[in-house]
Amino acid sequence: MEETNEIRKHPQDSRGGSDERDAQKGKYMTFKSGNEYFGLKIQYVNEIIGFQTITAIPETEDYIKGLINLRGKIIPVIDVRLRFRQEPFEYNDRTCIIVINVKSTVVGLIVEKIAEVVEIKEENILPPPSIGRADKVQNKYVYGIGKVGDSVKLLLDPDKLLNDADMSVIEQANEMVAEEE
Amino acid sequence: MAEEFNTEGMLDMYLFENEQLLEQLQEMVLEQKDSDCFDEDSINEIFRAMHTIKGSSGIMMFDNITAISHKLEDVFFYLRESHPENVPHLELVEHVLTVEDFISGEMDKIRNGDTPDGEPAEIIAELDKFLEKIKSGSLAAAEGEEAPPVPQNVHVEPKHFYIAPVASSASRFYKIYITFFPDTEMANVHAYKTVYALKEIAEDLLYSPEDIISDPDSAQAIIKDGFRILLQSQSNEEEIRKLIGVGYDIEAVDIYECKAEEFLQGFDFGEHELKIDLESSVEDIEAKVKAAIDLSNSEAGEAEKPKEKPKMMPGDFVIKSKEPGKKKQLAKDKPKAEKASFISVNVSKMDQLMDLIGELVISESVVLQNPDLKVPGLNLTNFNKAAAQMAKISTDLQNVIMSMRMVPLTNIFQKMNRIVFDVSRKLGKDIDFEMIGEHTEVDKNIIEHISDPLMHLVRNAVDHGIETKEERKESGKPDKGKVTLSARTEAGKVWISVSDNGKGLDRDKILAKARKQELLTDGKPESAYSDKEVFQFITLPGFSTNEQVTEYSGRGVGMDVVVQNIQNIGGVLDIESENGFGTTMSLKIPLTLAIIDGIVMETGNSSFVMETGVIKEFFSVKESMMIHEPNGEEYVMIRGDCFPVIRLGKWYGLHDYRTSVEDGMMLILEVENRTICLFVDKLIGKQEIVVKPIPSYIKKVKGLSGCTQLGDGSIALILDPGGLVE
Repeated sequence: MEETNEIRKHPQDSRGGSDERDAQKGKYMTFKSGNEYFGLKIQYVNEIIGFQTITAIPETEDYIKGLINLRGKIIPVIDVRLRFRQEPFEYNDRTCIIVINVKSTVVGLIVEKIAEVVEIKEENILPPPSIGRADKVQNKYVYGIGKVGDSVKLLLDPDKLLNDADMSVIEQANEMVAEEE
Repeated sequence: MAEEFNTEGMLDMYLFENEQLLEQLQEMVLEQKDSDCFDEDSINEIFRAMHTIKGSSGIMMFDNITAISHKLEDVFFYLRESHPENVPHLELVEHVLTVEDFISGEMDKIRNGDTPDGEPAEIIAELDKFLEKIKSGSLAAAEGEEAPPVPQNVHVEPKHFYIAPVASSASRFYKIYITFFPDTEMANVHAYKTVYALKEIAEDLLYSPEDIISDPDSAQAIIKDGFRILLQSQSNEEEIRKLIGVGYDIEAVDIYECKAEEFLQGFDFGEHELKIDLESSVEDIEAKVKAAIDLSNSEAGEAEKPKEKPKMMPGDFVIKSKEPGKKKQLAKDKPKAEKASFISVNVSKMDQLMDLIGELVISESVVLQNPDLKVPGLNLTNFNKAAAQMAKISTDLQNVIMSMRMVPLTNIFQKMNRIVFDVSRKLGKDIDFEMIGEHTEVDKNIIEHISDPLMHLVRNAVDHGIETKEERKESGKPDKGKVTLSARTEAGKVWISVSDNGKGLDRDKILAKARKQELLTDGKPESAYSDKEVFQFITLPGFSTNEQVTEYSGRGVGMDVVVQNIQNIGGVLDIESENGFGTTMSLKIPLTLAIIDGIVMETGNSSFVMETGVIKEFFSVKESMMIHEPNGEEYVMIRGDCFPVIRLGKWYGLHDYRTSVEDGMMLILEVENRTICLFVDKLIGKQEIVVKPIPSYIKKVKGLSGCTQLGDGSIALILDPGGLVE
């Protein structure tokens, strides 16, 4: 009981009340990675921070770039491009880190460029095409395609983005940590 | 009915208080389990604890807890009042522990949001039987004293008996009658308020109806019959009146001073209805009371009155004074005074504070080492003075928060005491349990982790370690086995050892078993295994040399879990044993997990921290001291000893690390009795570091145990020497 309380009390986890949630409904944070624009439900986004020094962690997947110090809280960061098996890119001034919170896991996403916050209505979201794209791996993270005017945004499922294939391993690790705590 | 109240805060309080009471209770009982009987104080103490639990459970409507605590209270009431002889002490101890277990179990259910539905009838029946037994066993002794109470469920009008402690001469005795207006709501609560107010001046106090707090029906009784208080106090009538006060609900307060004998007699409204007319004169009433007392006295002289069930007094106020005339203290004051110096704080708040202080320490160094200060020509004298002061305060702060997290091992040791008692009784072994150093303090987080492992070890010691009585006799040992649980701090670590003087580990048996399970290295002769290596086999999963699976151990799970749990908190298990003479299992665990003393170093542009404790020395080596094996392994020869070398940069596949040993620094580490050398680029310095876990999103990396922030805000990884050795 205590543990859940603790989690709830955490500032990062205290998402707004129902009013705020309504206001957030249908809004997506979009960012550019490679040539595509991606969208992430805004509820998941804690904040956007500028690029900062990353401490590498040995023996992890290449897309896990390491740890950053977010005002005293140490969080892991992953490179979205590497996650999508795209070519790595040079980090520069425009590189941003989107801090997201998925089921109490706080993770930073390194993206090339933040675009904007857009509202995408339910009827403008199409299911992802099951065939037609060569890169099927990517489809796993995309749960829908949102139409905004003439352009499309690939809507990301952050849960899959973080976990997918390594799911079982991470879950085990999480369980272990939970036990230890 | 329970739903009518907002019980949330009350429930927390209820659980917390009862838990503490039960803990104290258990500690007390186990302390005296080997003596012949409980001493006066503990009987009072147990009685009081049960009384409190009964009362609070009654309020919370947990009927089964109320019932069972009431029964045990009865038993102890009898013990207290009648001092029976020939009480089978061990049986009594077991009864108390059973009740305690039952209540703990029910409280666990409550805590988890379940209904406490345990059936106490069986235990109550056992207690009844026990009570009968001690009564029949001590009937002779009871003669001449009060009529021995007979437990009966027939509820007779409560008759209040009370043997007062020797009164101090200045005390006066009062009978107080309070009449409430008939339409008063919750008269029992008002009555309780009065009692509460009187407690301040009371040397002794009892009242009727007795259970005004737990029994809502008492309100009617109070309105109907009035509320009666017997009070012994040094205060005069006026002061008492002032304390009671006349509220809108109290119709009349009548206070009569009476003699000690009358007071001692207590209420006697049972068989002899004592009508007191409020208008009648004091003399009148006194006469009536006297008559009633005489009557009851004469009756008391008659044969036992089995119908009567002397209800206990508000025992909270009963205390035997050691010397007559000495000012007595109300027993209730004692725990209160202790409590006042403690508050319970939510652990998460402590953690938060801990985090914040960690932040403070870091930001302090950010400020004090700010590059802006390094501009030449600045006069920083005052700044430096202020900075030094601030550094001192923040160090103090750190020390305080650390000490707040430290808790003594007492509780956990008591738990072990209980286990030894239970297991040894069940196995029919006679075992002496000794505890040494139970006041050793350890970080709270660690305590939580060592409870289970310790339990396993203690059980093992009792079950496997200590032989049966017959076996002991054969080998010429004293009948009584001995298990010692000791704790001490040494070199920043806590050592907790469980040792027994039992049969010890049988090296050959373990080796045979290891051979069977194909755990031995091919080609290595058995004699080449050191005792330590052999004993480590028993920590492997599925390894148990006990042929018989008992209730407590022998399934081969246990030791591996112990080792696993200990390793999780950075500890090690050390086994020493001499065949035929006993075994000692020692846990070596860090004092705290939160802040460690570490050496910060750098390799390939990454910072690492190694805890200071494992570093034996730093060494600058020459290329000529290195020995290269063809398979790539390296050794270094230092003062005639050869140690394996781990290059941190290579180990983790870092970039840009120094390759020449002459450019870097060699750390000589001693881990789990092995010595290895760790090669790093350069040393940065020694620092107190706040350990933070690596986010769970990143899966466990071998050789890393956590991470921390350095003074400049960057992150360093904490190396786990155990992981490097593997």
